[in-house]
Amino acid sequence: MSFGRLMFLVAVAAVYVFLLFPTAVVVLTSVNAAEYLSFPPTGLSLRWYGAFFSAGQFIDAFWFSIGLGLVASLLATLVGTPAAIFYVRFLRTWRGQFRFAVLSPLLLPEVLTAIALLFFFNQVFGGMQSLLPLVIGHVVITVPFVFLTVTSALYNMPASVEEAGRTLGAGPWRTFFWVTLPLIRSGVVTGGLLAFIMSFDNVNISLLLKAVGTTTLPIQLFDHLRYDFDPTAAAASAVSVALTMALLIVIDRIYGLRAVRF
Amino acid sequence: MSRLEIRKLTKLYGTHPAVQSFDLDVAEREFVSLLGPSGCGKTTTLRCVAGLEIPTSGRISLGDREVTRLPPEHRNVGMVFQNYALFPHMTVAENIGFGLKMRGVRGAEARRRVDAAIDMVHLGGLQDRHPRQLSGGQQQRVALARALMGEPALLLLDEPLANLDAKLRDEMRVFIRSIQQQIGISALYVTHDQAEAMTMSDRIVVMFGGSIQQIGSPRDIYYRPATREVANFVGQSNCIAGKVVARQDARVLVETAVGVVRCEGRADVALGATGQVMLRPETIRLARAGGELAGRVTQQHFLGNVIDTRVALADGTIISVQTIGEEAHGVGDDVSVVIDESRAWLMP
Amino acid sequence: MADAVTGNSTDHSVSLRRGLLAAPALLLVVLFIAAPYLSIVVMSVRSPSNLQVYGPGFTLQSYIRILGDRLYLGLLADTLIYAAVTAAVCLVLAYPTALHLARTRSRFRGLLYGALLSPLLTGVVIRCFGWIVLLASQGLVNDSLRAIGIGPVQFLYKPVGVIIAMVHVFLPFMVLPIINAIESIDPRLEEAASTLGASRMAVFRHVILPLSMPGVQSGVTLVFVLAASAYVIPMLLGGGRVQTMATVVVQQLLGGFLWPFGAALALVLSLAVVLVLVVFALATGRAMRRLS
Repeated sequence: MSFGRLMFLVAVAAVYVFLLFPTAVVVLTSVNAAEYLSFPPTGLSLRWYGAFFSAGQFIDAFWFSIGLGLVASLLATLVGTPAAIFYVRFLRTWRGQFRFAVLSPLLLPEVLTAIALLFFFNQVFGGMQSLLPLVIGHVVITVPFVFLTVTSALYNMPASVEEAGRTLGAGPWRTFFWVTLPLIRSGVVTGGLLAFIMSFDNVNISLLLKAVGTTTLPIQLFDHLRYDFDPTAAAASAVSVALTMALLIVIDRIYGLRAVRF
Repeated sequence: MSRLEIRKLTKLYGTHPAVQSFDLDVAEREFVSLLGPSGCGKTTTLRCVAGLEIPTSGRISLGDREVTRLPPEHRNVGMVFQNYALFPHMTVAENIGFGLKMRGVRGAEARRRVDAAIDMVHLGGLQDRHPRQLSGGQQQRVALARALMGEPALLLLDEPLANLDAKLRDEMRVFIRSIQQQIGISALYVTHDQAEAMTMSDRIVVMFGGSIQQIGSPRDIYYRPATREVANFVGQSNCIAGKVVARQDARVLVETAVGVVRCEGRADVALGATGQVMLRPETIRLARAGGELAGRVTQQHFLGNVIDTRVALADGTIISVQTIGEEAHGVGDDVSVVIDESRAWLMP
Repeated sequence: MADAVTGNSTDHSVSLRRGLLAAPALLLVVLFIAAPYLSIVVMSVRSPSNLQVYGPGFTLQSYIRILGDRLYLGLLADTLIYAAVTAAVCLVLAYPTALHLARTRSRFRGLLYGALLSPLLTGVVIRCFGWIVLLASQGLVNDSLRAIGIGPVQFLYKPVGVIIAMVHVFLPFMVLPIINAIESIDPRLEEAASTLGASRMAVFRHVILPLSMPGVQSGVTLVFVLAASAYVIPMLLGGGRVQTMATVVVQQLLGGFLWPFGAALALVLSLAVVLVLVVFALATGRAMRRLS
């Protein structure tokens, strides 16, 4: 291998380290025995996890984020899946415009979308008393993910399979249930999981739209990091990362199973 | 009563006419092919019969039922798609049994019928495989069994052999035809391959540009094509222009630039009408010089089982002659061109 | 009733039923994206008030105030500069990574893709947390610098720390478009070039680099927009001492009831970003045209 090629590979490897190291630092900090944030850790201890599980605000925020994520991802799936079916199977004109419209929350800066929704809900609902603005905000920014994964799954499934179902006696609804849905199931579920993760990690929307008295885990961490540098936050972060990683493995498993089945 | 009746079927996409005023009757147990190049409207016609497209105008009847605007699931036609369209998430047995499931046939009765279908197409032992574990030919047979499972009134096939290699295609042609005759079902078959249409069909419908050019038996299409395009689509042809000068029983005498030719013609052809005499290369024989039609051999190609000889006639027209086995005359020889009058045909 | 699976249907009730599939998504966009963004514009021309989010009547005073005050213009300039630097550094780091991933045939390809994308799923707060630990005065980075003789460098609460974190968070968004662009280059072009005598370096310079420019353009645009509108990263790494347009805007909205002013700031930022991108597109457009 030439020297140039070696340098190239070293540079690329360094970039990957740059990308992954900070998250690893957080996880390692969470098992640090020391009182303060330091890296490398001076000793190993799980005390901060203990602190996290007994810290009311963190635990409350954690469960709130889970609940919010579940609701948002479910709604996003219900909205995004039929939109994807419409786009791939039925829409013939204005396709680019439709796609752009549905994906627009991804293309617009999130902080601007949060601000826009803040103004809108204030003028329409008169303030952030309920959880509705927050839920709507999360649904708005997660629908594009479901749309992308379901359209991808539909493109991999030729229309002739649905036509075959029709000629064999299945009407439009039965064809959807017995033929289309099983074949796009991996796309729908992956979209839903991505939506959950994006909702769980979200800061901008949650910050501006949260109702008084509620908070999400990222917001809790955000507040914490601005004023305290408590390793409890590291444990909270590590739990969040573990959850995300577990969901990623589930996504991978789904694709893995699908690859085996067909 | 015919199994399938199509009257004045027209399908427009925007202003583009994919199918124009298409008329066809398919009888009981008849195998009819729609033959033509891609874009000629044959697949669109088939899809209208299946209910996957709605015609712009016209009428389609299955038996005594008018089905023109009826959705596919109510028509009871069996369809085999070009890429088989097998359900990838179902086993072979589940694929074949899908039509039964949709009609509410379950349990032991369904199993029995599915097993019978699997035996009919020689796929025993493969019930629990998934489509991607099967070869192309096996998938084809699953698609066929699945389409026939519901005992449909009509079988529709959309270029089902297009994705198979040549040898498999030959086997499957025979197989599909024999199943069709065994069951006694009427079939409408779409293809661009003239050999396929010829070997399998009772009648062929030749289509170009959305319109029917000719309907007839394979022999009719081959030896009595309606136009030059039809003639050239189903095989090689030599065309010599001429004018009708006399009628003799069933034959016509045509005066051409290279001599007078006797050939078959339509009963309604008038004296003085102009046309083209169509000669298939294999119906021409070369003899020693001195006969009525004179020519000189300009090229000769050995194609294996056939020898292709190019002969220049008196006015410079080049015709193609094909002989099986050996050809006595070589390049540069003066020859007489001897045609088989019963297989020479006057086209308008 | 006509109901074709595909193709035209002259039956309006079928089209209506199909349209219902798309209705929720379209409703969501119109009601919760289009209308709210419009309300930012409306809000920006409302009169500010001390007692509530806005007062009666409409005025352009917010805009006048912003465009006339060197403080805010400087803030805008800072924001755009940080974003530009972030995009530039991202490009330098992303290009080799993209080149490698697009062309590698190693069996670890999937794993590398995962490594590239997984930070996106980790959450920006946690990633910033990691940088706070690393860039602190007693952090790993300063320890390493001390070991080679460089005195402690102040990263936190300074623009440099914010930029480092922004580069980290937005790097995948630069890598992905470039990978796409490189992957869509027909490998036979590279083969043709080498049969004509080009070395690997020359193939890169004359074939890959020019043809990957659309991807570079996309990536730079994307990262620039993301960096210019970033809020969480400057807040955490800047600790309140590094101000960007986004942090000031949110301050106006949450800290005080200065919504009209905040809205005007947000719009000025958006317009400035669009302007910069238009100039960028025009400048690189000429280079693009030489390719086609």
